[in-house]
Amino acid sequence: MKYCYFLAALAVVHAQGQIPRLADGNPDLGADGVWLPLHVADLAPKADVPFQAWAKLKFQENSAMKRNETDLRCLPPGVPRITLMPRPFEIVQTSNRILFLYEGGGHVFRQVWMDGRAHPKDPNPDWLGHSIGHWEGEVLVVDSVGFNDMTWLDDAGHPHTERLHVSERYARTGPLTMKYDVVIDDPGAYSRPWMSSSSLSFRRGEKLAEDICLDRISK
Amino acid sequence: MAEPGKVKGPMKLAQNACRTKQLLSGATLVGLAWLSLASSYAQQPAAVPNPPLAKDPGPFLPARPPAEGRGPRPVAGPAPHFPDGRPDFGGDGAWFPGFNGNLAETTWKGVKSADTHVDVPFLPWTLKTYNERVENLAKDDPEAKCLPVGVPRFMFDPYAFQMIQTRNQVVFVFEGDNYLWRVVNLDPAGTHPKNLKPAWLGDAVGHYEGDTLVVDVTGFNGLAWLDQAGHATSDKLHLTERYTRTDSLTLKYEVTIDDPGAYSKPWTASNTVRWRPGLELMENICQENEKSSIHMIGNAEPEKK
Repeated sequence: MKYCYFLAALAVVHAQGQIPRLADGNPDLGADGVWLPLHVADLAPKADVPFQAWAKLKFQENSAMKRNETDLRCLPPGVPRITLMPRPFEIVQTSNRILFLYEGGGHVFRQVWMDGRAHPKDPNPDWLGHSIGHWEGEVLVVDSVGFNDMTWLDDAGHPHTERLHVSERYARTGPLTMKYDVVIDDPGAYSRPWMSSSSLSFRRGEKLAEDICLDRISK
Repeated sequence: MAEPGKVKGPMKLAQNACRTKQLLSGATLVGLAWLSLASSYAQQPAAVPNPPLAKDPGPFLPARPPAEGRGPRPVAGPAPHFPDGRPDFGGDGAWFPGFNGNLAETTWKGVKSADTHVDVPFLPWTLKTYNERVENLAKDDPEAKCLPVGVPRFMFDPYAFQMIQTRNQVVFVFEGDNYLWRVVNLDPAGTHPKNLKPAWLGDAVGHYEGDTLVVDVTGFNGLAWLDQAGHATSDKLHLTERYTRTDSLTLKYEVTIDDPGAYSKPWTASNTVRWRPGLELMENICQENEKSSIHMIGNAEPEKK
């Protein structure tokens, strides 16, 4: 009898550890809730960032500024910064596209194409870039190019150019946890690619609120 | 002891007298109330005939020459459905409403506007506001300040949008404004959360009725204009939207505007939105280089330099 209880308890623990899945077998990154990133102010607090000389100066200048001018104008925070701010977002999965809906940063969204297409040859310089994605086992890999050079990579002020290429890995490690790895590859600002990691927590049952940044400055 | 309800002799007389008195006093009260209401109405500007509706300011763009080089119009097929029978509002393309400047007129500023004319049941303040906005060329339009156009105006505004359906949501993504999203939570019970924070897009719950997506929206901030012409809203706004894809290229839209803070009774506007095959949304950040709103001075004299 006591083995029955033990097995039942084990089954419960096992079920809780399972990550939800879609009909196609891929991890369900949405499922009735929102993701709250851990606030990462500095992508590389200790790491030796392979700055090019101008980028190091620019970083020091940005860090001294403290406030990002584009934030004050309610412009989108860019990538990966939008995933490092303590504001929730929701992931909506369809067969050919995954949408990221963000509460912060001006109520904007990103679309990640999952239909096997390539990046456009000459993408528009966008605030949030052009993103394509695929699954590597359990991990959603998002590859983005086509950025303008007006955003910062993080609150600390790591700069980038229009040659920025961001590779993000979203790994749902449990029902309530996600690991986030990001590789920054910008031959215009850094001498080699460098990476950083963060984590996100799932808020089951929560919904995004409407937050229109311009409401605070346009009156 | 007398049976309950049966009263005899002087008691009965007294009781009848009381009833009569009650009736009389009741009548008096009603009369007084009527008098006071009538007198208060008499003081309202409603006694003065309403000012006429402001007129269509006319075309704001020169007529376009006939389009050349455009391919043949795509041929409509049957409206698509999901395997489980739900109507499919998506596909490879996007919805594009075009400029439909006035919810209540069939033409506005020289181009096709809403599907039907509506005699809008204005309250005095909304008629006054509407007339002012038409006459001052919509100089205070929130859209010009990059604020959300809100619901239902996005269905009348010249920006592409897409509808993405999951099992429990319909997500709208807009190219216009600031590249916004809007979530409609599917819930046949149609319950909104309590104590909604006033919002531009409101809180939307929806369900399918056959081939129609029905969306109930409330929790508005009262700042949005219903259209470019300038029909106003209050924070009592409550919308019932009906989306029906009648064929692969056509989305029929009907919206009932129930806003006791702005209109004397509910009214319904409608529009037909075309599908643009192959169209994808571009990132469009309105305030990136916004330099127009300072030039929106209505009919004021431009400053001499």
